[in-house]
Amino acid sequence: MKDIIRTESLGKYFGEMAAVHEVNLRLQEGLFTSVIGPNGAGKTTLINLLSGYMLPDRGKIYFREKEITRLGPDKRVKLGISRSFQVMNIFPRMTVFQNILLPVLSRLNKTSSAFSSLQSQKEAVGEAEKILGEVWLQEEKDFPAGELSHGDQRLLELGIAVATNPQVCFLDEPSSGMNPIERIKVLELVKKLASERKTTFIIVEHDMDIVFSLSDWIVVMNRGEVLAEGKPGEIRENQEVRDIYLGEEI
Amino acid sequence: MKTRLAVLILLFLLALLPFYAGKYALYVAIHILLLSIFSLGFNLLFGYTGLLSFGQAGFYAVGAYGCGKILLAYPSLLAGIVGGVLLAGAVSLLLGILCIRHTRIYFSMLTLSFGMMIFSLAWKWRDMTGGDDGLVGIPRAPLEVPGLFKINMAAMENYYYVVLGFAVLAIYLFHRIIHSPMGLAMQGIRDSETRTACIGISVQKYRLVAFTIAGLYAGLAGALLPPLESTVTPPLAHWSHSAEPVLATLLGGIYAFSGPIVGSVLFYLLKDIIVRFTEYWLICLGIIVVILVMGFRGGVVGIFVREGSRR
Repeated sequence: MKDIIRTESLGKYFGEMAAVHEVNLRLQEGLFTSVIGPNGAGKTTLINLLSGYMLPDRGKIYFREKEITRLGPDKRVKLGISRSFQVMNIFPRMTVFQNILLPVLSRLNKTSSAFSSLQSQKEAVGEAEKILGEVWLQEEKDFPAGELSHGDQRLLELGIAVATNPQVCFLDEPSSGMNPIERIKVLELVKKLASERKTTFIIVEHDMDIVFSLSDWIVVMNRGEVLAEGKPGEIRENQEVRDIYLGEEI
Repeated sequence: MKTRLAVLILLFLLALLPFYAGKYALYVAIHILLLSIFSLGFNLLFGYTGLLSFGQAGFYAVGAYGCGKILLAYPSLLAGIVGGVLLAGAVSLLLGILCIRHTRIYFSMLTLSFGMMIFSLAWKWRDMTGGDDGLVGIPRAPLEVPGLFKINMAAMENYYYVVLGFAVLAIYLFHRIIHSPMGLAMQGIRDSETRTACIGISVQKYRLVAFTIAGLYAGLAGALLPPLESTVTPPLAHWSHSAEPVLATLLGGIYAFSGPIVGSVLFYLLKDIIVRFTEYWLICLGIIVVILVMGFRGGVVGIFVREGSRR
């Protein structure tokens, strides 16, 4: 399998604190990968660096062996990299449909069109409708997105992330704030989207049951560094990983 | 359908205004149309892109001075207006490149500073602007396309139709822009610039486009002023003039397409009524705006929309 994302000595520092330090990762195409670790381990900073939301202080990032270290997030999306955020990040004043339509228009390079109506963008409208169906939000289509329930907003954010048709999609705690049933539902949806859309998902998640049941590959971070990586069985048996989780059964 | 009918009736009434209203009413109507154009452009930045500019009067003044200078040199109304608008557009594009890298208070302060620089230029660059005397004796030149037509603008009624035509065109184009993919991208930036960047849209590019369009609208409103007043003076560029579209838009409602237009009508009429009783009309207007902002965030249009949806 090919590397879809590769990093070399990646580092991000806030004063004396190393949020991410000497991270050398090879994330493979098609593998459902989870990034886990205790609070403050550097998981979100890593996602921020890989998605272009933050620029690293050290090291290099490659997407399909093309260096993207200094590219901004908008340019990375055009290459096929997408993400969702830990704190809800949708377009609250726009309708649910417009939330999905905008990234589709962006992917089709139609956002420069200043005088055509949204309805005339037939291809984009059709695709947005399809994605709404995929994330189970057809009935809420015309609602203002800010008025959706928390769970539905999470589904919408997932819809926005996949609407750019990414090759790799980072999801930062996609089920946070949800009850256990909703969590399983949304993560099963992610798994389904991964297989149907041929998108490589890399998620940050705290629920270990979900992580170990869904992931093909797990990266464990601690204090800004990669502590271990491997298949779920290998990670479960890793003593260092058990230690940072205070001996919890994982 | 109802909205379309209401717009048609309003257009019909506006078209007939010279037949049933006096000269003063026409003069007021022209000023309301100018403020509507000015406020619409401002609201593309504020209500649709999330950027609060306090320097729009600078571009208004550039449009006014540009038009005034052209009309003094070459008496063609169309050349004056188009020239003024293009000059304002060019200046807003240049200043926009510097301003749009910043957001929130930093953006607002930068626009305020650049607006006041233009004010200072208008005040001090006497050879070009006439200094504190301004440009005087600007003719209301005929509307002319050589070889096609020439319409005399001496009568206020004729000039009213020119302003109405430009205002209708500006409002129509604004409606098209905000309902287009580009308008949706701007609203995305307003709602969440990080999310917008993370779906592949260049936030700075669309901020610059919105800033330039707002500058063009301010320039158009400014360029339509000299033929009416026959003079252009530095206070047009002052920050207090930049506050007019802000107040008008807050009055009407920032999230409604018609908010800045309704707000402009209210702003001008309130000003016209209150100023008869006290020179401190801005205090009274300020109180009204404070009440609206604290109690009715959607402005006057927002109140009607809310009432309509309740029924």
